[in-house]
Order: sequence, then C-alpha cells, then structure tokens
Amino acid sequence: MITVGCDVGSLFSKAVVMDGDEIIGKRMIATTGRIAAEVHDLLKAVMKSAGISADRVDCLGATGNGAALVKDAAFREDTITCAGAAAGYFLPEVRCAIDVGGQSITSIAIDEEGGVRNFMRNDKCASGSGRFLEMMSAKLGIALPEVDKIAAGAKTVVEISSQCGVFAESEVITHVNNGENKGDILAGVCSAVAKMVSAQGRRFGAAEHFTLLGGVAKIDTITTMVRKSLGGCYHPFPFDPQLATAVGAALLGDAD
Amino acid sequence: MFAGIDVGSLTAEALVIDEGRIVGSEIISVLPNPVDSARAAMGALLARSGLDWGDLTYTVSTGYGREQIQRQGLARENLSEISCHGLGAHTLDPEVRTIIDIGGQDAKVIKLDTKGRLEDFVMNNKCAAGTGHFLEAMSRALGVGLEELGPLAMKSKKPLAMSNRCTIYVETEVIHYLQRGASREDVAGGITLAMADRVLSLVRRIGPESKIMITGGVAKNKAVKAALEKALGMKIVYPDLDPQLIGAYGAAVYAAAKGGSK
Repeated sequence: MITVGCDVGSLFSKAVVMDGDEIIGKRMIATTGRIAAEVHDLLKAVMKSAGISADRVDCLGATGNGAALVKDAAFREDTITCAGAAAGYFLPEVRCAIDVGGQSITSIAIDEEGGVRNFMRNDKCASGSGRFLEMMSAKLGIALPEVDKIAAGAKTVVEISSQCGVFAESEVITHVNNGENKGDILAGVCSAVAKMVSAQGRRFGAAEHFTLLGGVAKIDTITTMVRKSLGGCYHPFPFDPQLATAVGAALLGDAD
Repeated sequence: MFAGIDVGSLTAEALVIDEGRIVGSEIISVLPNPVDSARAAMGALLARSGLDWGDLTYTVSTGYGREQIQRQGLARENLSEISCHGLGAHTLDPEVRTIIDIGGQDAKVIKLDTKGRLEDFVMNNKCAAGTGHFLEAMSRALGVGLEELGPLAMKSKKPLAMSNRCTIYVETEVIHYLQRGASREDVAGGITLAMADRVLSLVRRIGPESKIMITGGVAKNKAVKAALEKALGMKIVYPDLDPQLIGAYGAAVYAAAKGGSK
C-alpha cells in the first residue's frame, strides 16, 4: 500500500511517500505565505522523489497548522496523533515523545499499544521552540544546518539567562558586542533550548524511555544536552526526526 | 539641592529638586554601562541648568546598577526602584494607591497604603509581552515610530484580535494581518488590546485600588491607558510630571528627606 503524509508546519512543510513502513520519497520546503501553492508543489516534488505517479497513491493524510490547505487529503489529523503514531510504531519501547517544532514544544505520552495517552503543549511562548533557535542563530549569522559544527568548537558555554526569546536575543547581541566567541554563545543558546525541552519533558515523565522529534531534534548538540539532563533511555527516531509527524500521517493512512 | 538618578533598561533619568521644586531633569538613552549612563544623565542636567556636581547636597541612585553608581561616588545612597516609584507617585498625588509602571523591559504594579508605604507589588521581568519592548517590536512591524502607535490605535474602529501572547508570535500575526490588507489602524488597535491584556493579568494579581496612576515610558501611549481603563472600569491618572521621571523624582524626594535632616 502506498500512502503519503503531508505535514504543513509553521516554519517548514514536509511530505513523505511510504510503501508500507518504508519511506520511498521525502521532501521538505520552507512554509512562507502562499501555502496552497506550496503544498501543491511539495506533493508533486515528493512523488517525483519516490519515482512513482500520483495515481498509485492509496491514501493522502494531512496534518499540521495548514492541513486544511492540503486539498486532496483523504483525512486530516492533528500533529499529536501523527507524531505519537510514528514514535509508537517505530519505537515500541518509548513512552514519551517530545516534539520540538517551529512554534511549540509538545510532550506526548504513548501507551503500550502505541496510542497517545496524554499530551502537554506549550505554544503560548516561543521559548525553546525552533523559532527561538532560528532567531538566536540568525543573530549569530549561523545557519541551522551549521549549528552542530560551530557549537562543537565551543570552549565554554556562555550562559543565556533569559527564557523569553526577545530578551534572550538582546543577551546574544550583548555577548557578540562583548567579543565573546560565537561557538561559545551558540553553545549557550543550545543549552537554553535543551533546558526548556528537558523541563517540559521532565514534568511529563520523560525520564524512562523517550525520543525527541521535530526539527530541533536534528541538532545533536541539543539532543546530547537533553539526554544528559533527563537521564533515562533515549531512543533516536530511525529517520529524520523533522519528518516524524508526516511519517505518522502516512502510517495512519495505512491503518485506516 | 537634592538629586535622583534612575537607570532603566533603555533610558536613564536624572532629576534635581530644591526646596521641593524640580529645578532640572534629563532623560537620555542608556550607555552600555549603568555608571556611565548615570554620569551622562546627571552631567547633561547640570550643564543645562548651569550647576555643578558640588551643588548637590545628597544624591540617591535607583534602577539598574544602583549599587555600582553609589560605589563610584555618584550617589550617597541607593534605593530600590519599587520604593522610589512609590515615593515619587505618592509625593505627586497622596491619594494614589496603585501604580502601574511599564518600562522598556519590565512591568510592575505597586500598591501603597494610605500613608504611601509599600503594601505589595508584582513584577513581570521574564516575558517581553506587556512591556515597552512589545510595543517597540510591534511599531517596527507596522513601520511606524513608537510614539505614532498610540494615535494610530486611537483611530481604530474595529481592533483586530491577536490570538497569541508571545511577542515573537504576535509580530508574525501583525505581519500576516498587514499582508492580507488589514488597516494599520485596526492592527494598531489589536496590538494595544494585546498589550493591555498582558498588563491586566499583572494588575489583577494584586487587586487594584483607586487612585491608580500609570508611570513609565508606556504611560505616554494614550491608547494603552484607555484600554486599561476600559477593561478595569476604573479611571487611571496620568502624573503631573513626565511618567518616565517618577523613579528619579522619588529618589530625589528620598534624598531630600535623608540629606536634609543631616
């Protein structure tokens, strides 16, 4: 069975083509303003990457903020259900998935059957979100894919004391003006994100078997810090963790 | 002559009183170091008033770096911003019981008893929403000056609801509204309501009592003041002095009380 999952997020839109539980195509683009057109192009591109024609798709599932704009979706499901389904399917031991997305941190409790038992989401505040990381690294002139490389060169961690993204940004600027090393400041930014992610995970019982999903989970510097802070047993998502929610939408299409 | 120096996050103020009368005041943008800010603010005031540091009998510092400012010999004593604001507002109007002070990076609500003594206070310095920083970010997003935001909001017929609280997310919301062709007046109106909403949550935590006075730089935004009055169903008085000077004024009043008795 060929299924497609499409996750229209606040910063990025992702699509995957799956043949059973195997990913045969994937694409990700930045979400800007023209979402309907972007989704159209994204779906075309993902089918091309899978090397099959659109008429072979048995089910298209949509999720994310912009799910309503995925015109041909057979179903629409919230991101928590999708992310939970992906974690539950590929990581059966995991009881908590922390999804750090562009505008929110969501902790999802998963039961033995791989279903969502409960969740907690912070989407009121940008603190610790992908947006937060993006803002701070932009002030440092560092692109997100470079974060790990540059943070690896840090000799010390420059502490960012503010939680608020606005105040943290001012702090970063002050550190840059004071001539601090960019890698050291970046390590401080990563540590701030890790602290907020861990705090939320801890409140939700992530101490045992947990995984990290979402774009921020791709930054090893941050996942390492979160693992150190939470202890317990970390199970990395077997594919790009930023695609997990889209993968979940595709898996749900197979189950329906 | 007695003086107060108040260094904030964005501006620094100096004020000098003589026999209870204000003889000079100065507001400057802060320098990287609070001691330099204090020296520059008072230096400018003295130069403009034809005075000298030696003319100041007793000076009190408050705000960021108030201890450092004292240690550097620019002030004889330092006092917390909360006490200075309470004293300043009470001296201006003895009937004031609640002070809503919204500065560049924080917001405070101070409650005084009938004698002007500090009864209680709450502060937000963790989140930029509900502080001057919020309005600054939004006026930037709207492409208007900070001082134009209030008048623009006053013209709004149907303020647009902001669904977020976080400064970063509201900024995105503002940009989306403008992209969809919303009127700038109505966006400014929505910004004002979002700002007032954050301040209100702080005000309600303490339980406001009349008279209420609004101070700090944000007090100059008449639309925010009007939105707060409407939501509280209470009148808010605007001080008979630049609302950014209340802390420095309170420090000077305290200096006169301390220095005058010695």
